Amino acid sequence: MTIFGLWVVNKAGGLVYQRNFADGLAPLTSNEYLVLAGTLHGIHAITSRLSPVGSSSGVQVIEAETFKMNILLTVTGTKFVLLTSLADTSADTILQKVYDIYSDAVMKNPFHTPEMPIRSDGFDTRIGTLIGNGQT
Amino acid sequence: MTIYSLYIYDRHCTCVYYQDWHRTKRPKPAVEGGILSAVSQAVSPITPANNDGLVTSGFASPRHTLSSNTGVVVAVGESKNQLPTAPQTQPFAGSSTAGLPFDEEAKLVYGVVISLRNMVKKLSLRDEQFVNYCTSAYKLHLFETVSGYKFIMLSDPKADSLRFVLRQIYVGPFLEYVVRNPLVKMDSREQGIDNEYFRASVDRLIRGLSVFA
Repeated sequence: MTIFGLWVVNKAGGLVYQRNFADGLAPLTSNEYLVLAGTLHGIHAITSRLSPVGSSSGVQVIEAETFKMNILLTVTGTKFVLLTSLADTSADTILQKVYDIYSDAVMKNPFHTPEMPIRSDGFDTRIGTLIGNGQT
Repeated sequence: MTIYSLYIYDRHCTCVYYQDWHRTKRPKPAVEGGILSAVSQAVSPITPANNDGLVTSGFASPRHTLSSNTGVVVAVGESKNQLPTAPQTQPFAGSSTAGLPFDEEAKLVYGVVISLRNMVKKLSLRDEQFVNYCTSAYKLHLFETVSGYKFIMLSDPKADSLRFVLRQIYVGPFLEYVVRNPLVKMDSREQGIDNEYFRASVDRLIRGLSVFA
């Protein structure tokens, strides 16, 4: 079970945090990550409208052949995206913990501007201890 | 667990076939010119020809089965009545049509699938396919053929991967009643691939699955 990366997408679809852990996915430039985060934001909005039965949430898990993307949408509209291997089952709990850390280390930080890229050593180190090198 | 709907798109991004089963939120009929003819009678723009529910003869009909009065024998010993009746003979009976018009919905489904496919290709080191995604209410599965046909199925979120089912539809009914059917103009960009045998055969295959209940 491997964790490849973590993205934090703000409520407008901008990528405010991106970090890679284990190798296994293509290395992209920061611009490419920004584009992908924006696309994901759009897809998330559309998927909730395509429900064949009643109302639906946006997309929660996207699966490819060797990896999956787990998406946690908070009530404030921030999205946490965790890229893991297919066999991984801990993604939900990890995302919840990332949200906890985000609330503590980013939202309570008086020097942080909301909706702007996260530049906080405290957040970085705590995410580092939570996920490590991405191997579980 | 259940299966909600099936969409087939050709390589020109157009929806050529649609069928649904347990949808409680059905799409509205497409606007005139929004979809090709012969995609699905249930979502075709409502015209007097569609309202009587009868298949007229020849190519003008939404289905490609020639009626017996044309003098061409299409199949012997099989009358229409023996085929399982498609659930769409009474469009929208007993379900709300609060959804989007079908042509809009078809475009959204295709857009989502293409964007996800590109995203997965970009993130992956090798040329990898997007397989499925799930939300709280449904799960979408994709199977793409080498010829660019995309088979998309919506099912219950708890269902396992249904890629093999989509492959079965391609290998079985699709090859038999669409590719090998001289009356279906594939890749025409003018009409879909709906015909009675294909619809009945897909219906039988889906209803026979253990996830369909």
